[in-house]
Amino acid sequence: MQLFNLALGLLLLMTLGGGIWRALRGPSAADRMLSVQVFGTAAVAVLLLLAQAFGQAALRDVALAFALLAAVTAVAFVRRAWAEEVDCDPE
Amino acid sequence: MDRLTLVLWIFDSVTGLGLLLLAGWALASPQLFRGIILFVAFSLMMSIAWVRIDAPDVALAEIAIGAGLTGALLLAALSRLGDSEPTQESMNRPIERSYRARTFRSLTASLLAAVAVALVFLILALPGDSEGLGAEVAASLDASGVSSPVTAVLLNFRGYDTLLELLVLLLALLGVWSLGGLPAQPVSPAVLVLDTLARILIPVLLLSSAYLLWAGTHAPGGAFQAGAVLGAAGVLLSLAGWQVRQRYTGVTLRLLLIAGPSLFLAFALYTIVAGQSLLEYPPQRAGVMIVLLEVAATLSIGTTLAALFVAEGPRNKEGQ
Repeated sequence: MQLFNLALGLLLLMTLGGGIWRALRGPSAADRMLSVQVFGTAAVAVLLLLAQAFGQAALRDVALAFALLAAVTAVAFVRRAWAEEVDCDPE
Repeated sequence: MDRLTLVLWIFDSVTGLGLLLLAGWALASPQLFRGIILFVAFSLMMSIAWVRIDAPDVALAEIAIGAGLTGALLLAALSRLGDSEPTQESMNRPIERSYRARTFRSLTASLLAAVAVALVFLILALPGDSEGLGAEVAASLDASGVSSPVTAVLLNFRGYDTLLELLVLLLALLGVWSLGGLPAQPVSPAVLVLDTLARILIPVLLLSSAYLLWAGTHAPGGAFQAGAVLGAAGVLLSLAGWQVRQRYTGVTLRLLLIAGPSLFLAFALYTIVAGQSLLEYPPQRAGVMIVLLEVAATLSIGTTLAALFVAEGPRNKEGQ
């Protein structure tokens, strides 16, 4: 079971490569922001898997803290950095 | 068991390689926005690395302060750069590459390279089979008043480090305020989605902050992590257009800001007057004193971080 959890964690870590590619390429700021949000979600999942694999309950707190703060970062992006774009972008 | 080692080895290699690449890209990125995004990704990867070297406390601090709050702070700072109304172009504005900038960069690079060489040298010079101070901390854990070795070191054995960290944070805010702060941003009313999100998320953030504070006495957690989550609640409130009433932004705000540092200083004075050395708590009262310190420090850290995010001068301040 430990091996299974760790293998899943490794798989998730690999999928982050796709996220990084999008963060590097863009092209729009929203693409990059969403890619790092996906990155965060995957990191939360990796932390939960590691918590399960090593039986370290404290890692769930780490995952909890980031899951909460990621939402705040996303709001900061939308309200402060993206406000103009929303107004003039028809999409 | 063999396959387990292999999977762990690949896991660590991917993390380490990812860290190096992300750090390089974040630093070399010509666009500031992309740099911020890559920095947040780096911070996330870093916290996974901290977990792997068995330092969940640092992972928690890294993820709460590095990836969470600093990301929001940097985004807000970027939106205030230059144009008051940032657009796609201003977010993707390339960094200035003048002759002076290049000289400065190469100077910084050589300085950092020298530091890196010195660090590598120091690490190689360390005795390989040293136990570190872990055993000593474990031996005197009973006298510290808490059962988490990290909290014992941070707030008891090396309390003055934490005291100075709190003062640094306060100084950062005083610096922002001394420069006059930034002009107040026009507050646009929050749309329904954001309003609902804030109403749901703020209580959860407050509860989690209290939980992390409580957890700090026996598990990873503590004042800085709890303060970061509390500060995030303030940031979210400010982003949702919520404002503190004018009468709370004077003395009340300042009292919250100095609660942690001043309680720390009071305890430092008390221990000296009581005939012990600086911040050497009496063992039977150490637990209570540490919890009091953590509560005050959490309030101060949260308020300071939120006020740093708002970054307005003390005259027209809002913030937590």
